[in-house]
Amino acid sequence: MSDVLAPTEILALAKILDELDYYQVLHIGTGVSATDVRQAFHASSRAFHPDANRHLDADHREAIARIATRVTEAYTVLRDPKRRRAYDEALRDGQNRMQIAEAEARAEQQATVELEGATPNGRRYSALARQDESRGDLTAAIRNLQTAATFEPGNVHFKNKLQQLRAAQEAQRRGKKGFPI
Amino acid sequence: MAEVAIGIDLGTSNSCVSIMRGGSVEVIPNAYGEATSASVVAFREDGEITVGNAAKANIIHAPSLTVYSSKRLIGRYFFSEEVKKARAICSYRIVEGPNHSVRIQIRDDQYSLPEVSAMVLKEMKAVAEAHLGQTVTKAVVAVPAYFNDNQRQATKDAARIAGLDVLRILNEPTAAALAYGFGQGLTQKVAVYDLGGGTFDISVLEIGTDVFEVLSTSGDTFLGGDDFDDRVIDLLADEFSASHGVNLRKDPYAFEKLKVAAENAKKNLSVDDAVEIRIPGIITSESGEALSVERHIDQGEFSSLVMDLVMRTFKVCDEALQSANLTVRDLDGVILVGGPTRLPLIRKAVGDYFQKSPQTDIDPDEVVAKGAAIHAASLTDLEQGAYLLDVTPLSLRIGVAGGLAETVIERNTPVPIEQTRTFTTFQDFQERVKIRVYQGESRQAEGNERLGQFEFASFRKARRGEVEIDVTFSIDSDGLVLVTACDRATGQQASTEITLSSGLSESEIEDILERGDTDRVQTASPEDVGSAPSADATLEPEADEDLLPDDSEEDLEELDDGDAIELMAGVETPPAELRGNTLDMDEPEGAPDDPVPLETPAASASAAGAAQDGAAARDAYLGDAGSELAAYVDNDEPESK
Repeated sequence: MSDVLAPTEILALAKILDELDYYQVLHIGTGVSATDVRQAFHASSRAFHPDANRHLDADHREAIARIATRVTEAYTVLRDPKRRRAYDEALRDGQNRMQIAEAEARAEQQATVELEGATPNGRRYSALARQDESRGDLTAAIRNLQTAATFEPGNVHFKNKLQQLRAAQEAQRRGKKGFPI
Repeated sequence: MAEVAIGIDLGTSNSCVSIMRGGSVEVIPNAYGEATSASVVAFREDGEITVGNAAKANIIHAPSLTVYSSKRLIGRYFFSEEVKKARAICSYRIVEGPNHSVRIQIRDDQYSLPEVSAMVLKEMKAVAEAHLGQTVTKAVVAVPAYFNDNQRQATKDAARIAGLDVLRILNEPTAAALAYGFGQGLTQKVAVYDLGGGTFDISVLEIGTDVFEVLSTSGDTFLGGDDFDDRVIDLLADEFSASHGVNLRKDPYAFEKLKVAAENAKKNLSVDDAVEIRIPGIITSESGEALSVERHIDQGEFSSLVMDLVMRTFKVCDEALQSANLTVRDLDGVILVGGPTRLPLIRKAVGDYFQKSPQTDIDPDEVVAKGAAIHAASLTDLEQGAYLLDVTPLSLRIGVAGGLAETVIERNTPVPIEQTRTFTTFQDFQERVKIRVYQGESRQAEGNERLGQFEFASFRKARRGEVEIDVTFSIDSDGLVLVTACDRATGQQASTEITLSSGLSESEIEDILERGDTDRVQTASPEDVGSAPSADATLEPEADEDLLPDDSEEDLEELDDGDAIELMAGVETPPAELRGNTLDMDEPEGAPDDPVPLETPAASASAAGAAQDGAAARDAYLGDAGSELAAYVDNDEPESK
């Protein structure tokens, strides 16, 4: 995006803000990397930072403030992979704005669903792992979840959960023996 | 003459002023050639007021008439922990003013904290004016990132009383990063480790050529260099009491001597391997014998005295890094801010923690003022800009039923931002809701700082839970918070700008400006300052409107007596969590005189009754829900934790 927008363009952009999705607000494609998101945020901030536009009249400053606020909103959602996935899903249903709290809640929900697994075997072993965990048998839980992960190598939630279980196991071990030196 | 804007670091212990001229940034020395001036105000016997290093020397002669570390008190309520702590250790008298504000008693006069800080700011303004030979009215003032909205407002008020138009309240770590990275063409991720006299802040930033993005910030407002001094004081006082049976803390004169010695010891340990503390004749024993303090302290012993304090700073660093989703390995540099970071033990610990040596080429006492000056220049001149993308350092919350506070904007969210949460009524046919705004990290409302409140009544009346009220918080790039409530069904709105609680109302500020008390300040500078434009120079007229809307304070007062009604957070607050009587945060401990607001509408009491015991709750339950507020008013309701 060019760094400077003509005053008429500013007003026009402020007017259609609600019709834009976050990718359009940041002027990026839906498939871009996290680094691109950050760079786009910086570029948009240069163009719409209130400090850079304080010489404009009140109407334009207000428009700039609205745009800058929406730019930040887009960034706070898209910069976080979890939130971004949640947003992408909502966007497919035609929702182009998402409050952070909603994004977080949705991401959590997505995680819960995906943690159950997408394949029959993934679901089966993941369920076993959950039972093991609730019994407090972390070793068995880790074994079963590892098995589940072999059926769904792409499932990030399996990986995250595994990491979590291993950390818990490590903590348990430390608790028993004291801190290893 | 061209208009200039200065950058001021209003520190807990020392203040520094700086300006950007001709593309380079310089620290403005005071009349004695010192880069920093003590943030100390001395009220002398002859009625004159002195500020700065000369005032600091006054502590020993007139401890009760010399105000120091006032930054620890600014923008705080009298009942706050920090004020309690200060009352225990400060040699001047701290008393309670109107609306639980803090006042400092000097002889028969009481001074508000913004007034005291204004005296320091005025001194810095005078230092700049003497050096530049022209009036200065515009400034960027730096405050700790962790300052809440009340503290920021109070600082703004102080500047206004000092005759300064504040272009922006800038976070100290952000200022430091500017001083470090501006014009350097860097692309780096850096941590700013800011250990001041009274506070600790850590910020993680990404520095680009012209964009400075704060990724996260965290802090501890109860931790600073003064605590290091206290450890040395404790050591000396305890040993003295053990060997001589005399408590030096009880004697103001001796205690001040001890304090000065401890601070000097700490400073010397920044350079030397060991110090000898000698205070001959610090006190006279009952038998008339002059007793002295003599003590040798080396780096090792000093380390062991303060290491737990240093470790506490790294806990805060962990938080900040985690919040930025980074590890120490992702960082390119560490910038040190604040006098205590000169200590070798801190530098070593910081180096160990971050796995890289900290930057040492910028003076940690000057770096913040320099950054503020750079920002001041970019706000007065469109050409030289660095865009600051800051975050909100503390979560913004809304008080909901059960004494809880629901987050609307989480801390470390970039600003400007706008977020909406939906809330609902707590009672059938509820007519009003009181929207209370808090800032802080506690789920319990009372664990946070209250910023303000307003009442919203223009919504449709319906059964509990049926009304949907959207509460929108927006923070602009100046950090101003606007809260709007809107009934989804009717589109009816009410809003308030939260700019409150510096402890001074608009009319009080005007009174102060009129009285011109702060004009009694004798600048420590030589005659040429006298010929420089006097300190009571022009107040920017537009500044009047920037601060403290007239109605804000009234809102708070009025509503305290009102029949407050609770909001219930839509989904997040399951009834099981609703505890007891709706508690009002207007009544923190230590403020028993506060009118206990009439609370607990019948329906809320019924929910409470389920969770709690008590005949009153039962009565309320049996009462006619949705009718007048139940007679049930619980006066002695310490919230069960």
